[in-house]
Amino acid sequence: MKRILDGYHRGLKTALTVLMGLLIVPVLLQIVSRYTGIIPRYIWTEEIARFCFVWIVMIGAMIAVRDQAHFEVDVLPTPRTARGRGIAGLVVHSMMLLLAVAFVRYGYDFAQFGFRQTSEMSGINMLSIYIAFPLAGVTWTFFLGEKLVEDYRRMRSGDEEGDG
Amino acid sequence: MSPGEAAAVLFGTFGVLVVLRVPVSFALGLACVPVLLADERLTPSLLMGEMWRSYNSFILLAVPFFLLAANLMNSAGITERLVNLAKASVGHLPGGLGHINVMVSMLFAGISGSSTADAAGIGSLLIPAMKKQGYDAPFAVAITACSSVMGVIIPPSILMVVWGGLMSISIGGLFLAGVVPGVLIALGMMATVWVYAHRRGYPMYKRSSWRQFAAAFSQAALALVTPLIIIGGIVGGFFTPTEASVVAVVYSALLGGLIYRSLALKDFPKVLYESGRLAAVSLFCIGTASAFGWLLAYFRVPEALVDAVTSWGSGPISIGLLIAASFLLIGMFIDAIPAIIILGTILLPVSASVGMHPIHFAIIGVISLAFGLVTPPYGLCLLISAEIGGVKVVKVLKDVAVILLPMLVLLVLVILFPEIVLWLPRLIAPQFL
Repeated sequence: MKRILDGYHRGLKTALTVLMGLLIVPVLLQIVSRYTGIIPRYIWTEEIARFCFVWIVMIGAMIAVRDQAHFEVDVLPTPRTARGRGIAGLVVHSMMLLLAVAFVRYGYDFAQFGFRQTSEMSGINMLSIYIAFPLAGVTWTFFLGEKLVEDYRRMRSGDEEGDG
Repeated sequence: MSPGEAAAVLFGTFGVLVVLRVPVSFALGLACVPVLLADERLTPSLLMGEMWRSYNSFILLAVPFFLLAANLMNSAGITERLVNLAKASVGHLPGGLGHINVMVSMLFAGISGSSTADAAGIGSLLIPAMKKQGYDAPFAVAITACSSVMGVIIPPSILMVVWGGLMSISIGGLFLAGVVPGVLIALGMMATVWVYAHRRGYPMYKRSSWRQFAAAFSQAALALVTPLIIIGGIVGGFFTPTEASVVAVVYSALLGGLIYRSLALKDFPKVLYESGRLAAVSLFCIGTASAFGWLLAYFRVPEALVDAVTSWGSGPISIGLLIAASFLLIGMFIDAIPAIIILGTILLPVSASVGMHPIHFAIIGVISLAFGLVTPPYGLCLLISAEIGGVKVVKVLKDVAVILLPMLVLLVLVILFPEIVLWLPRLIAPQFL
């Protein structure tokens, strides 16, 4: 399971890198076409850039759950024992899982809503962008599941060492 | 639900989750869910609808690009060139490295839009150097952290891009408005360094000759053109802010790759990925914060607040102080971007009700939030600098408080005299006001 998740995580990273590189192209095209007239003015460049951007945000948000890169606030002190850290992790990650589940459940409605629409300029079916939301929910569920197992093990190991 | 009940559920859930250390972006999204479920006219897929609407913005595209440009400049070793230039200009003042630290932060702020890139890049160069020359480690850490907050005040600034995009205020106008307060903060901090240096006998460098200064300047000149391209391009009407940010990316890639030859082709994927992930984490927060803000507006919380505030009959100055205090407080606990979306959208009608200019309001907000970058428990720049300096955060707090004092005075001055902010945009580009 860990190897599958590792591979998926690597795939998401590659996708994010490629999309970041691609994102530069439509905006540059827009400037070049305005000042040179060599290429016709592509009205849809702006739209493609925005859609690319939505995917970057959602893929980055998926990766950041596994990397624990989302910003959090240290108001409470970090628990000193492994058992304490395991319990704290279980609480945080199960709360995050609630949002992941909501994204899967209601993201399905949202994606269906997108399926009935096409974009204004390039005529893309909106499902191709809206699907990023339920996909984020599914991805988070897997990544958080992995975290919850780790937290549980940490809590148990703390138990056995008796330092809790 | 009444405005009061909705606000209580939203802020209550959010507060509890954040204290439990749920990431801020997730806590904001989760707080929306019970409200969306409880009201029969609403459904949780509205959360995603609001998120989508906030990401589907051409202006916000500037955020990943400004981050990318800053990271490219950092990887290309531009910071070292700026340090040399600062050494040739202010190194001979008492407390030389302290002044260099402040000046490099100011120059770097003009190139990048983010304070954390500033603290990391400058801190790793200057904190070890300062410790070696006999500066107290807490002072070295504190001056690095505090001066890096200029990154969000001096243009280009990611916070201003978010602010302008969200509240439909001219980003060019905001950029120009940040220049004078930013330079005043730099001068205030240099004065503080001077006092420290006299009291503690910190060293200075020999005055550089004109020839040395000219050499250092020409080494850094091409990097210093970046702010001119960005600000000039936007103010002159050549580019939109998003286009200017892409031009900055291309310019820094050419500078690092072809002219300075310090960036290899194989470095690019890593820089792309790291900038992309950081931008995504910040922007994801914009989505859930927007849904949160939308719900507050749906239940008419801002209107209720305006009614309450106008019933006190306060004037622009007391409202200005109230705004600054609210941003200072929330900035201690959460990241600046969600703070802008939640508080900024609530307080905008309040500021408008006393006739405050939207750009004046924005700059008060941005300066107040800049404090949050160095105040515990969530001061990212302070955490980064303390980590580099190998000092505990608690030990640095006294010096941080002393160095922030001139900045606090400036914040009050900005509230009292809006012209500090509005003078430059009015002079150069009155169409932005």
